[in-house]
Amino acid sequence: MIPVIPRGFKDVLPQEARWRESICNNVQKALSLWGYAPIETPTLEVLDVLKRGGQLAPTTFRLFDADGALLVLRPDVTLPIARMTATRLADAVGPLRFRYVQPVFREEESLRGQAREFTQLGIESIGLGGALADAEVVVLLAEALKAAGLKDFTLAICTVGVLRDLLDVCVRESGVGEQWRQAMLDACHASNLVEVARLARDARIDARYGEALSALPSIRGGKEAITACRALVEPLRCLDGLDVLEQTWELIEAAGVGEYVTVDFSVMSSFDYYTGLVIEAYAPGVGMLLGSGGRYDHTLEAYGKSAPAAGFALSLERIMQALLEQGIQAEPSFATAEPVVVSVETDEPAAAFRRAKELRGQGIPAVLGTGKAGERYDG
Amino acid sequence: MMDKTEGGKGSFPGAAVNAGVNAAVMGRLKIAVPKGSLYSQSVEVLGRAGLDTSGLQNPGRQLVIRTDEAEFFIVRPTDVPVFVSYGGVDCAICGKDSLEEAALEVVELVDLDFGACRFVVAEPAFAGGAADDAYSRLGILRVATKYPRITSRYYDSVGVQVELIKMHGNIELAPLCGMADRIVDITATGTTLRENDLVVVDEVLRSTARFVGNPASVRTDARVRNLAVELERIRACV
Repeated sequence: MIPVIPRGFKDVLPQEARWRESICNNVQKALSLWGYAPIETPTLEVLDVLKRGGQLAPTTFRLFDADGALLVLRPDVTLPIARMTATRLADAVGPLRFRYVQPVFREEESLRGQAREFTQLGIESIGLGGALADAEVVVLLAEALKAAGLKDFTLAICTVGVLRDLLDVCVRESGVGEQWRQAMLDACHASNLVEVARLARDARIDARYGEALSALPSIRGGKEAITACRALVEPLRCLDGLDVLEQTWELIEAAGVGEYVTVDFSVMSSFDYYTGLVIEAYAPGVGMLLGSGGRYDHTLEAYGKSAPAAGFALSLERIMQALLEQGIQAEPSFATAEPVVVSVETDEPAAAFRRAKELRGQGIPAVLGTGKAGERYDG
Repeated sequence: MMDKTEGGKGSFPGAAVNAGVNAAVMGRLKIAVPKGSLYSQSVEVLGRAGLDTSGLQNPGRQLVIRTDEAEFFIVRPTDVPVFVSYGGVDCAICGKDSLEEAALEVVELVDLDFGACRFVVAEPAFAGGAADDAYSRLGILRVATKYPRITSRYYDSVGVQVELIKMHGNIELAPLCGMADRIVDITATGTTLRENDLVVVDEVLRSTARFVGNPASVRTDARVRNLAVELERIRACV
């Protein structure tokens, strides 16, 4: 019988591993130029602790350890970093800038063709708020994708503030109640614009707010989209986050990555812990998110330290899929070079050892072998 | 329907909306059309939205129909969400029932208001409350369905313990031969239920056809959003 591995997991052989390494190196280099320092968090977390920071997807791997503690395999890196920052770095003088490359684990139903382990590349910027910090995250996301080698991608950004404001007013001033708010958030989370429009038509709600709620998701474009959104919600005084979004947009354009960025108020899904900016990254030919991010100013509070924070996470595997779609090959790097064979047949083994050491000293990968001397050997 | 020549070759009309999008650069828009009961009305609304759907009128056994601007994939209704969610197609027409059962990530853009049907709970007319009796004695109901996700969600919401039997067709037979107490199935007119002497005891969900998009396509391809705007306009006109 062939020894199997669990579905949704995989071995990575040299050709793929070299490519992964090269992309990760390039992205990490770009992130470190912005002052982001590498960190690592444990593979396992305590479920109750992680849950405090935000709702976990129902698709986490859970297990009991020998002490009976309920643990979870890291489903993302944002919550672990928030936990870490609020505890070991509770007294650190901010701002803190972290980058990471870590595998994450998500349980997926069988027969859906999805991986259960994938690698996230990302950053968290902690202790900074406002447009400058938001723009840094968006621009850096664009820089990370460019460093990965992608030529064509779209970053869709918006703010959750406007929607939250509208929902607050509706719940406060009409009799719809918390159940309606939750239904609305669920519909947004599921990208169900039909249901958003249906709930917005609720007779108990002031029609102006209802119209704004159903019009909001189709607002999209450049700066004019922010203007359009303002025109829609200014009379209703539900403007939270819009000024910051406008300043962020200006900074993004000034940074020269405006061509990659679109304002899109349909990007309201999966904003459970987000409090302001939300970003989603897409590439043509890949029907799924390359990555996402945003601002989560209340998450650290849940772990005992109050600090604004924002960040993003990209999926290495989806970036590779996008690169393949766009016909972009791995850049040659030290990792892709094949080693030279130093023959132990023509040379004395001791001399071969010295010769190989010399080559390596010059930065040339070398192995000892029995092939013809100087032959390239495909490891 | 807008003038077909307006957008020029390679872009579909409705598409003043299509400004700035070059079909030659973007490639053909990929659209899944469900086989079966939603098919003819799907083809009709896509045509009214300005797409060339002549090849879809009598496709025979062909599953892929290409035009200058679009590529239509004729797929099984229950598979539509998979095609959309995984980016096999950019957008599609799909019954709400299939969306609910698949529970995959798609953007639900327009309620097209056709293909109306209901999910109902039904039992044999002759059983006359035997299911309730069985539930009170045994604490469990046995329910046959093609739609386990929708059915279990419904019974969770009403707090009734059930044993689900997943079947692939002719669900009506399950209670008739005593294999299940009730069924949860789709009905448009109720004819099949009546002919098999089944009566509706509760309604689970109402379904209509929806226009749905792949999340990435909705955010990166203006043609999907433009098509949604057109379809919404057509629906509002009806």
